[in-house]
Order: sequence, then structure tokens, then C-alpha cells
Amino acid sequence: MSALSNAVAQVVTQAGETAGLDGDALKSANGASSAGFAYGLAAIGPGIGIGYLVGQAVQAIARQPESAGQVQTTMFLGIAFTEALALIGFVVFILLKFV
Amino acid sequence: MTVALSTQPLSILAAGGEGGGLKFPPVENLVKWPAWFLEGTVFEFNKIAFINFVAFIVPVVLFFIVSRKPAAVPRGLQNLMESAIDFIDVQVIKPAIGPDGKRYLPMLLAMFFYIWIGNLFEIIPTAHMPANARIANPLILAIVALVMFIGVGVKHHKLGYFKEVLFPPGVPKALYILVTPIELLSTFIIRPFSLAVRLFANMLAGHILLVTFSVLCITLWGFQILNIVNLVAFPMLVAFTGFEFMVAFLQAFIFSLLTAVYIGGALHPQH
Amino acid sequence: MLFAAINLLAAEGGESAAVNPVFPDSAGELVWGAIFFFLTWILLRYVCLPPLLKAREDRELQVQSDYEAAAAAEAAAEQVRRDYETTISEARLQAARMVEEVRVTVDAERGRQVLAVEQEIAEQRQAAMAELDSARTAALGQIVGDVADLAAAAASKVVQAPVDAAAVRPAVDDVVQRTGGSK
Repeated sequence: MSALSNAVAQVVTQAGETAGLDGDALKSANGASSAGFAYGLAAIGPGIGIGYLVGQAVQAIARQPESAGQVQTTMFLGIAFTEALALIGFVVFILLKFV
Repeated sequence: MTVALSTQPLSILAAGGEGGGLKFPPVENLVKWPAWFLEGTVFEFNKIAFINFVAFIVPVVLFFIVSRKPAAVPRGLQNLMESAIDFIDVQVIKPAIGPDGKRYLPMLLAMFFYIWIGNLFEIIPTAHMPANARIANPLILAIVALVMFIGVGVKHHKLGYFKEVLFPPGVPKALYILVTPIELLSTFIIRPFSLAVRLFANMLAGHILLVTFSVLCITLWGFQILNIVNLVAFPMLVAFTGFEFMVAFLQAFIFSLLTAVYIGGALHPQH
Repeated sequence: MLFAAINLLAAEGGESAAVNPVFPDSAGELVWGAIFFFLTWILLRYVCLPPLLKAREDRELQVQSDYEAAAAAEAAAEQVRRDYETTISEARLQAARMVEEVRVTVDAERGRQVLAVEQEIAEQRQAAMAELDSARTAALGQIVGDVADLAAAAASKVVQAPVDAAAVRPAVDDVVQRTGGSK
């Protein structure tokens, strides 16, 4: 992955040089491109995880509708923990993009 | 525009600094608000503080009205507020702490309402700013949760609580080199951090999402032929508003549920 | 190339921003957030919730006691029903016993009456039989005398000499005995 982001940074640097950007602008351009990567990669795992989790919860509820309340609470807890990764990715995105 | 764009579609979206085009507002316009009064002091009062004030005054006044004359048979407003108490009691305290968690009801109720009403301002017209999209509120609430669960653990298990957490029983002694730093990190640092970031990032993401679609709709309105995209974009904006309504509730619920889970874990560390 | 162009656009947009959207740059939000949250907590904890929670607890107790009262009433009703049932069954038993007694009495009375009637009938029949027997004996005796006289007369006619009736009598008796005695 670092090879890819290096390549992207190279492209950005070249484009910036042709456009005559100074160092700060180049830095934020690089930050923006890596921000996109950061969030995109951070979304993969939690996406799979939440999908699997909710699917299993639905199956459990379908098999035992009387335990739906408990399964739902546990499901929300699991989603909260799984989702945290994606949200940290989002925060990293914001930090890379705007700082 | 300093860069001459070689691609045609993009040139429409970036049609220049003066002549319209898709102008996404800089991020500080989305989340930073000017001071209303007391500018420059630590009591600087802005829109976020005002939303916090509403989130404080609404539940307090509602509960105060109800609690002045609680009827034996609840009707109307009392029914509504009691169903809120029941919700926290049955959905949060019972599964997370157990029957001995009744005494944390006021804190969890305050937390739930404070977060929920702060979140609801994300979709209330003319406000359109969730108070929790700034890190301040989630940070405070997460610190309250951290202090609370450590306090509960120390109160019920004295200093044995830290031993239970850092040196969990049933682990081979050699593994403590590995387990103890992980537990220290995950319990006392990652927990409050993830609590705060979860709430904050969810609300900020929702806010940016709504802003993006609003800006898109407004911009497209100005282009004759591209207006038809509004047929898709505007319903999406409405749908996301409904989605954010749900997220506002869900985040408040999850924040109080996780706080309750952490308190329950400190109360009964063996589980 | 397109990618880089987008990034450059974004970079230009964020060029003026040395601002960090994540962390607050003024303490005001933190201070007011903390003040309002703790106010919410404290007011709910000490002012707003206690009467409401007490009302809920009272209601729960009320419901509990009502429930217990209902359970007690139900038990009482059950007791009453059981008493009623025992009374009913006792009455039924008594009635059955009385019916049985009456039946026994009536049976005995009937037996007695039937016996009396039968006895009477037997007596009457016996009397009738005795009367009949005596009448027959009388008639038979008369017939024997007549027949003996007739036989003596006939015999004297046959032997041309007087025959003593008394001498004939045993033979006549014998004949009557063999013919008439068999009825």
C-alpha cells in the first residue's frame, strides 16, 4: 500500500510542480490524497464486520424471536465497537485533510 | 483557479471563483461559530453553548413539570417522561448493569437526554448544527463516564479493582507482560477515547454529509441542464435527514448503554 | 491526473485553514458543556427525579399490594366455593340417605303388606278348601249310603232273597273308593 501512496504522492508533487505550487500547498495536497486512502481503507473492515454482525443478529432473532430484545442490545454494542474503527478512520481523514 | 483543468466534467463543478460552480464551504464554516458574548474569556458563549443550554433546560423543565404532581395513573406528559425512564431502565440499565443499577438512573438519563437533544439540532431547521459535532461535549461526557466507572470500581472493590483489571485472574503469569499493558491501554485510555470519538465522529460525519448534499442541491439548481440531477439529489437529502434523525437517537442510546456497560463491568468484574 | 486535480482543488479549498475542526480552539464550549451537563445531572438527581421515582415506587407497591389483595380475594372465593361444594355434597349425601331410608321402609312395609295379603289369601283358600273337602266328604258319604241301599236292593232282587245293606257296605265303599275317591 505504501508503494501506491508513494506513487500518488509523486503524481501530486509533479502536478503541483507543473502548477507552480509552493511547499505548503503541496503538503496539504499530499495530506488530502492520503486522507482519501485512510478513510477508504478504514471503511473496509468495519463494513464487513457490521454486515456479518447484523446478519448473525437477524438470524438469531429469526430463530428465537423471544430473545430479540437481548440480541438487539448486544448487536448495538457490537456495532458500536466495530464502528469505532471506521470512525477513527474518519477522524484521521479530517485531521489529514484539514490540519 | 490556478490549475487549468484538462477534464471537461470537472470544469463545470469548478467553474471558477466568481462565476458560481460547486463551492464547498471551508470546514471551519461548518463547525465553528462566532461568540455571542463574553468573547475571549473561558466563558465564551456561542451557538454550541446555546444548544447545550437547550439540551439542559428541556429535560429539566419537562421532568420538573411532571415531578411536581406525579399522578398514580400517569397521563399525557407524565406518561411520556415515564416511558423515557422505562426505556433507560429496561433497555440500558437492566441488560448492562443488572438490578442493582437503579442508582445510576439519574446520570444515565441526564446523559441520554443531553446527548439526544444536542444531536437533534443537527436536523432542526435554522439550527442545523449538532452540539456533539464539536469534541467538547463528547470529551466531557467520556471523562464523566471514565471517572464514574473507575469510581464505582474503587468504591466496591477498593484497590482490588485495579488488580482485577490489570491482572485478570485465570491468565498464566508469564502472559501478564503482554496482558497488563493491553488492559491498561484499553480500559483507561481507549475506552473514553472511543466513547468520545464515536459520538463526535458520527455527528460530524452526519453534519458534513447533510452539508454536502445541501450544497450539491443548491449548486445544481443554478445549472439548467444539470438540474435533473436534483431529482436524485434532493430525495437523497431528505432521506439522509431521516437517517440522521435515527442516528441522533442511536448515538445517545449507545453512549449511555456503553457507559452502563462499563459501570456494570466495574461493579461485577468477574463477568 | 484527474485524481491529482481533485486533490489540488481540495488543497486550495483548505489553503486558508490552519484551523483544526476536531479540537476546540476556545475553552468556552468545554466550560459551558460541562456546566450544562452537570446542571442537568444534579437537577435531575436531586430535584426532578426523586418525586417521580417515589411515585413510581409507590405505584409499584400499590400494584403489588393490590395484586396480593386480589390473590387473597381469589383464595377466599376459592374457599367459599369449596365450602359450598362440601355443603352441596353433604346435602346430596343426606338426601340420598333419606331416599334410601324411605325406600327401605317402603320396601319393608310393602313386604309386610304383601305377606299379610298372601297370608289372608292362603287362609281364605284353606278355608275354602276345607269347606270344599267337608262338602265333598258329606256328599260322598251320602252317595255311599245311597249306593249301598241301591246295591242291596239290586242284589236282593237278583238273589231273590233279602240282602243286608250293612253286608254290602264294605264292597260299595271299596268301589266308591276306587272310582269316586280319585275325584
